[in-house]
Amino acid sequence: MFRTLSARAIVPVAVAVTGFVVICCILLYSVMKTDMINDTTTHETNLTDTVIKSTRYAMLKSDRETLRNIIANVGDQKGVEHLRIFNKKGLIMFSGDPREVGRFVDKKSAGCIGCHAGPLATATIGSMERVRRFVNERGVAVIAITAPIYNEPACYTAQCHFHTAEQKILGTLDIGLSAAPLLSTLAVMRGRMIIFSIMVLLLTVGGVAALLRRQIFIPLREITEFTSDINNGNLDRELTGISGELSDLADDIRAVALQLRNAVEEIEELKKGPGQTKEKT
Amino acid sequence: MGNHPPESRRKDGSDYPQSTKPLENDKIRRLRARSSHFLYVIALFIAMSIGAIRDFDFLPSLPPGIHDLLGKPPSAEMISTALLIYSFSAIILILSRMMSGSASYGGFTQLAYLAGFYLFYHFSGAMEENFWAVFAAGMTILGLESYQVWSWCREEIRKEEEISAELDRKRRKDDNPDV
Repeated sequence: MFRTLSARAIVPVAVAVTGFVVICCILLYSVMKTDMINDTTTHETNLTDTVIKSTRYAMLKSDRETLRNIIANVGDQKGVEHLRIFNKKGLIMFSGDPREVGRFVDKKSAGCIGCHAGPLATATIGSMERVRRFVNERGVAVIAITAPIYNEPACYTAQCHFHTAEQKILGTLDIGLSAAPLLSTLAVMRGRMIIFSIMVLLLTVGGVAALLRRQIFIPLREITEFTSDINNGNLDRELTGISGELSDLADDIRAVALQLRNAVEEIEELKKGPGQTKEKT
Repeated sequence: MGNHPPESRRKDGSDYPQSTKPLENDKIRRLRARSSHFLYVIALFIAMSIGAIRDFDFLPSLPPGIHDLLGKPPSAEMISTALLIYSFSAIILILSRMMSGSASYGGFTQLAYLAGFYLFYHFSGAMEENFWAVFAAGMTILGLESYQVWSWCREEIRKEEEISAELDRKRRKDDNPDV
């Protein structure tokens, strides 16, 4: 395969261009995927803060019924896979799924282990570290975020005096949104990048190969075949249709072929002998 | 030395010097061996990539002391930018070596750089998202390096064979000047 000039000229360029385009596309996709996940996380963090702020008044008034309704209404929204509030001990107090109420969460699960890896739980953690991605029991890809509900002066000075001032975290809100829209967008983006890369490669490699073939390889093949015929004794063949810089080479080869033809004719004349030459004169 | 048939001797019956042909064959043998070195490099890279795709889970974790000594790893974006610049410059350098007909082969050096990228992504925790980028870069760069050294060796072997054939022709002409 690499014996021909066209293969040796086109294959390295094709490999280099293809490889570089593939590398760029993979890195670009990776960066865009990270950005989209970060955007989704930011959106989910805002939603978490909205839910906490929405339930704050109900918590201060210890209005559990209103709190239960808020959690149920938000949890029923399309795209919300789970929404729960659990206390310091991990007991689920409120949930969008009533069957979960009264159950304990696993501290060793992903999303919980970040704060609960050591003997003492971490009191504060950045928003990106609170994110976990997994597939739930229904087979849905979920991006979940946990947000601690911090103790505030209004909480420990409220009339009910339920929480003491020393308690830093009153509970945790855990919300999980379906990652299906994100995954769908990523798939569409991936497909578009693949199509774009294929088009770029076809244009670049195909265009270069087509031009090289037209301008260099076909004329070179014509010249090669002409010189091969001359070498094999076929001196009557013509060489036409060569243009550009190769026309100088073609002209020189034609001149050599013409000289060779003339020399052969002279030799033929000499072989016939002086007698035949006299007859002619 | 076994390279000459019994009849290929000088007219006076003496032997031709034995050193020329064995040396030439030795050079061609060395060139052939060199032209296949790239296979070892590619095999090593594939083996390294198999470890990388598992995020080197078979390697023991570094002790916390060494982790602290090494400090915080660079961000995935920085490593990706470095990978892009490295890939671009490596491809340009290899293509320019092809153009100049250079004999140098940088396969093992490229392997070391690629191992570095795998390790950086491993320590920064971004191996899963960026493995294929390093793999594609490695296959492209090592493929071009391999092709460059292989085609140079083939060219040199062809030249050596032509020189050997020319020397053989001259020797036979010396033997039989009437032919």
